[in-house]
Amino acid sequence: MSHQPTNGAGTSLIGGTEAHTSRSIPRLLIPIIAAGAALALIPLWLGDSRVLMGVAVLGLAFVCYAIGFNVIFGSTGQLFLCVGALAGVGGFGATILADNVGLPIGVSILVATLAATLTGGLLSFIAVKRSLGVIFTGIVTLIFTLSFDALLLGLSNLTGGDSGRLIASGADTFLRARDRIPPYYLMLALVILFLLVHGLLRRSHIGWAFRALRDDEVAAELAGVDVARYRVYGALIGAAMLGLAGSTYVLTEGRISPTTFGFGRVDVVVLVMLAFGGIGTLFGPIVGAVTFTIIDEILIDFGQLRHVAYGILIIVLFLWMPRGMIPTLDAVWRRVRRLVGVRK
Amino acid sequence: MTANILDGIVLGLQFGLLATGLTLVYGLGGVLNLGYGQIAVTAAMTVALAMEAGIPVLPAVGIGLLAGGLFGLFLDQTILRPVYRLRGEARVLLSLLLTLGVSFIVDGFLNWLYPLKALSLHMRGGAVEILGVLMRRGSLVASAITLVTFAGLYIFFRYTSLGLAVRSVIEDEEGARLIGIDPKKMLRLILILSGVLAALVAVTRSMVAPVDTKSGLSITVFALIVTVVGGLGNVGGALLAGIILGIVNVIAAKLIGSYISLIILLGAAAVTILIRPAGLLGVKE
Repeated sequence: MSHQPTNGAGTSLIGGTEAHTSRSIPRLLIPIIAAGAALALIPLWLGDSRVLMGVAVLGLAFVCYAIGFNVIFGSTGQLFLCVGALAGVGGFGATILADNVGLPIGVSILVATLAATLTGGLLSFIAVKRSLGVIFTGIVTLIFTLSFDALLLGLSNLTGGDSGRLIASGADTFLRARDRIPPYYLMLALVILFLLVHGLLRRSHIGWAFRALRDDEVAAELAGVDVARYRVYGALIGAAMLGLAGSTYVLTEGRISPTTFGFGRVDVVVLVMLAFGGIGTLFGPIVGAVTFTIIDEILIDFGQLRHVAYGILIIVLFLWMPRGMIPTLDAVWRRVRRLVGVRK
Repeated sequence: MTANILDGIVLGLQFGLLATGLTLVYGLGGVLNLGYGQIAVTAAMTVALAMEAGIPVLPAVGIGLLAGGLFGLFLDQTILRPVYRLRGEARVLLSLLLTLGVSFIVDGFLNWLYPLKALSLHMRGGAVEILGVLMRRGSLVASAITLVTFAGLYIFFRYTSLGLAVRSVIEDEEGARLIGIDPKKMLRLILILSGVLAALVAVTRSMVAPVDTKSGLSITVFALIVTVVGGLGNVGGALLAGIILGIVNVIAAKLIGSYISLIILLGAAAVTILIRPAGLLGVKE
């Protein structure tokens, strides 16, 4: 029952609002520039507090993870429950290459990102070849996450085991600036880069194939879309984003541990962020990650009770706003405009 | 070798019992309950609190099982209502996300209220010798409970008309409705049963290792893996998959070492899923 091709009903949770993607370049660039400019002003406001800047840098890392996951799950319907693990391949890969092998930081990040990309592509290739449905893809990638965790704990001489390790490389560069402002702009540059890539992707023939296979896989196949190939493309691009964001983030942090990329810490949170913002939309990841980071910071004093709030948030979200903030607001805005138009 | 296989079977029976409650609900209703481990943890805390209040072990365990059943009934009556309105993969996805929310609420609440509490039911008396191998008493009692439970489930699904009605819904929901079986009633029954089974998992597990408020996620994840390897909705498959994975885990742990044995266990599960997506005992649709 669950490894049937996704039918119309099956995609109701995953977006479906992309039908009116604009083809014009300014209409793509202006919102991205506006979002980037708004985020660029944050250090003016929080810059005095190193703690809050640290929170903001982590928030941007989560925006990156959410965009990567959005490309994989939102665009091609593959439920990858290994977001943290793929980012961890990047993070631990870059750490080990830079510190233990002694490669330059840039090369380490590049090679680690490549490793994450190939891992994501391989997982997708296996899932596509075996025509696994949403749930089975989720379980196989969850098994990958658990194996990766076991490996991290096992190879403790390289990874520092449970408590993690400090990263020596890049210690005296701008990456570790004490005020956390240069790392903030570095992560912001990644966010803008990822948004541009995703935006351009949606306008290209790849984005057209993504929409076709997500709306109706069988129809897409019949119309000549090579569904398998585009699924793997989606996973490669998304995994590259995850690996790059993971490796860059840990190098600015200067320490890394298995919990940095843990399932409960990254995957679950990214899923909630994306669901809140709107799965499959361009700006959903930003809206979701920024909102969630702010809520998390406000509730920080409540400790474990925060999880209760998130649980309630998840349930309310999926019962009343299953498509997320952006599509819901979009629908409201359209209705308002139509009402105003009628009155005129 | 005998020792390894016996240890593996004991662990495997645990795995099998773990998966049963989850696999029944999935098979019957297409509902993937990610709050399953949290039902077990809630039951464990109930038993621990009852025992602290001076209630003897057996009635306390009874109260725990009751709590598990009530939790299942509560899920059925509340957040699963909108889930039942959907079909196919959409139903699985929504149930998975909503029960994930439930698991957050339970985890957050229990970790806040009882951060240090754990249930461990120690068995008095030393090890027992079976086939020339010394086995821990707790493991043996847990295995015996598991075997009795599986026998009970077998009789229920094979020989009682209620069990047959449940199976008919698993086979074909529409067909069952046509011959006058109400799938909603069967679902409610199975959710209660699944809650009781989750509570039983907590009780048998606590005879071997303590069950604390942070065990929920790992219980759910292992139950999910065994469920999928055995074939969704297949109780016999869950038992078989549990025993095979248990033996693989113990032998790999003996031959190679601890962390790689977990990877081998997971790898075995992944390979089974890829080769036989319908599960070990599953029938290809």
